[in-house]
Amino acid sequence: MGEIVFHQVEKSFGSNKVIENLDLTIRDGTFTVLVGASGCGKTTLLRMIAGIGPATSGQVLMDGKDITDLEPGKRDVAMVFQNYAIYPTMTVRENIEFGLKNKHIPKEVRDKRIQEVCASVGLTEYLDRKPNTLSGGQRQRIALARAMVKEPKVFLMDEPLSNLDAKLRVQMRVELIHLHKQLKTTFVYVTHDQVEAMSMADDIVIMDKGKILQQGTPEQIYHDPNNTYIAQFIGSPAMNVLPLDAENRFGFRPEAVQLTREKVDGARYCRKGVIQVREMLGSETLYQVAFADGQTVSVKMLNDQYRSGDHVVLNVGDNQLYFFDRDGQRIRRAAVGDAQYAALLQTAGGMSDV
Amino acid sequence: MYNKNAERRRVLKREWKNWALSYAMILPAMVFFGLFCIYPLCNLFHLSLFRGNVRNPYKSFRGIQNFVDLFTKNPDFVPALKHTAYYTAVVLVLLISLSVLCAVWLSKDRKLNHFAQSAIFSPHLVASISCAFVWSWMFSSEIYGLFNTILNAIGLKSVRWLDQPSTAMNCVIVMNVWKNIGYYSLIIMSALKAIPTEIYEAADLDSASPIRQFFQITLPMLSPQLFFLLITITTGSFMVFDSIRVMTNGGPGNSTQVLCTWIYEYAFLNNNSLGLASAGGVVLLLILVLITILDFRGLERKVHYQ
Repeated sequence: MGEIVFHQVEKSFGSNKVIENLDLTIRDGTFTVLVGASGCGKTTLLRMIAGIGPATSGQVLMDGKDITDLEPGKRDVAMVFQNYAIYPTMTVRENIEFGLKNKHIPKEVRDKRIQEVCASVGLTEYLDRKPNTLSGGQRQRIALARAMVKEPKVFLMDEPLSNLDAKLRVQMRVELIHLHKQLKTTFVYVTHDQVEAMSMADDIVIMDKGKILQQGTPEQIYHDPNNTYIAQFIGSPAMNVLPLDAENRFGFRPEAVQLTREKVDGARYCRKGVIQVREMLGSETLYQVAFADGQTVSVKMLNDQYRSGDHVVLNVGDNQLYFFDRDGQRIRRAAVGDAQYAALLQTAGGMSDV
Repeated sequence: MYNKNAERRRVLKREWKNWALSYAMILPAMVFFGLFCIYPLCNLFHLSLFRGNVRNPYKSFRGIQNFVDLFTKNPDFVPALKHTAYYTAVVLVLLISLSVLCAVWLSKDRKLNHFAQSAIFSPHLVASISCAFVWSWMFSSEIYGLFNTILNAIGLKSVRWLDQPSTAMNCVIVMNVWKNIGYYSLIIMSALKAIPTEIYEAADLDSASPIRQFFQITLPMLSPQLFFLLITITTGSFMVFDSIRVMTNGGPGNSTQVLCTWIYEYAFLNNNSLGLASAGGVVLLLILVLITILDFRGLERKVHYQ
C-alpha cells in the first residue's frame, strides 16, 4: 500500500505563498508524474511527501495515516534527488547500506538485499568504488539502488534524469517503467519534461503556479485537455491556438492536420497557406505554414512531400478541433450542449478560405 | 631539407623564448626564497657544526658534538622538547575540536551568528604580542588581575596563574587557542557551507541521527580542511615563541621553556652557544619535516578530495 492524499495543503516561503489550498490523491501503486514549468510547486509537493520540506498548513496522509509532521526517516519513503545526493566520502556499498544500517537491519539481510538490488541495476562490480570514480549514469544507479534497497512504500523522484545525456535518459526511462512494473509500488516522479511525463506516467498531474490544472492518464491529458496551458504544454510541437471570434479561441494539434494540394472532403477548417519552414526529422517532418493574413501554424506530417515555398491546403476535421473561452478554459460539447457546440464548429468552418 | 631545418630552428627559438619568459616571471620570487629561506637554512646547518657567538660564530669546529651535547649535556633542551610536545598536543586537540564545534554552531543562519562570527574572528586581527600582554594582565596575581578579582569576588582564593609551573603552560595554551580559534573556525565554516544540503536531506530520509550525520557525513567531508589544520597547527605550535616570551619568558623555572625560547636564549643571551642553538634549530626543522611526512604518509589516504 502507498496511497498519498494531500488535504487543503498550503506552503509559504516567508511571505511568498507557493501552494494554496491544494487537494490531491495519488493512487496506490501508480506511476504518478507531477509536471509543470519550474517554480510551479511540483518539487515542493514531493518534499512534503518526503518530509524534508513540511507543509505550512493542511494535512498529508499516507494510507490514511497523518504523516504531516512525521520525521523523514520514519515515513517509509525513498527519494532520488536531481543531483543524486550521494554521500561522496562513502563507497557505493556504504552509500546503499547507510539507510539499512541506521535502521539496524541485520548484516545477512543487508548483504542479501544489496546483492539483489545491485544485480538488478548493474552495480555489482562497482560496490567498493568511490562515487567520484563513476560516470553520471552509474551515480544515477547508485541513487536508485539506495532508494530500492529500502523497499519503501513510495518512491519519490525529483527530476532524476535531467543530468543524463539524451541517449541515457531514454534508456533510463524504459528501465524506470520496467522497475515500476516489477515493484508495483507507488512512484511519484517530478519533471518539467512533458515527454518524460507522457512516456512513463499512469497518472499525470499538471501544475502551474501552485495549482493543479488537471489530473488524468496521458491519453486523457493529451486528447481532452482542460485549458490552453495544458493543450500547449503537452505535445510537441505545441497545439496551434488561434482566435475564433471576439470571445473564444480554437485549437488543433500539428499532427491532426492533413496537408494537401486540394481541399479534403469532410474537413471543417480548410485554409490556404505557404510552407515557410521545413524541418525534416527522419520519421516525421515539421512544417511552418503561413496563411494569407500572416498567421502561422505548425504541422507535423509523417511523409515528406512538400518543400519551402509550396502552396498547400490545411485541413482539420470536426473531431480534431478544440474550443476555449476567453480565459483559456476548454469549452466541451457536454457542457454547452450540441446546439451551441455546432455553432462553434460552424464559426470555425466559416473561416475556411478554400 | 633546408626548409625543414629552418622550421625546426624557429620552433626551438619559440620554445626557448617561452621557457625564458616563464623563468623570468618566477625569478623575483625565487630570489627572495633563496635569500631568506635557502641561504639561512644552509647557514644554520653550517653554524650548528661550530662553537661560537654572534660576533665570532666560527670559533672552533665541533662536528656533531653540538648535537650530542643537546641530548646528553644540556640540562634545558630535552625539557624544552617535552614542553613543546605537550603544548603542541594540547593546542592541536583543543583547536581542532573547538573550531569544528564553533563552525558547526556558527554556520547556522541566525542574526546572533553574524555577530558571533566577527567576534570570534577579531582576536586573529590583533598582533599576538598585544594579545599576550592583555592576557598577562588578566592572569596577573597582582591586585589588578581580572581572573583573580573575579575569583575573590565570589569568595574563592587567588590562583597564581602564570607564576606556578602547574598552571603557567596551560594559561599560555588558553591564550593561543582563544587567539586562533576564529581563523580556523572560518576555514571549517566555509567548508561546511560547501556541503550540499541535499546530502543531509538524503541522510534524514536514511534515518540517520544528527550525531551519526556529523560523524559519517560532516567530518569526512571536512577531511581536507582538517588535514590542513593538522599540518598548520602542528608546525605553528612547534614554533611558538612570542606569546611565551611575553607571558612567562620560559618561566617559572623553565616550566614553559619551549624549543624556540630555548634557541633564542642560547643564541643571543648565553655566551659562546650559538652553535648549540643552531643545532637545536636543525633538530626543530627535522622534527617538523618528520611530522609532516608522517602526517602525509599516514593520513592523506583517508582525506577525501572532491
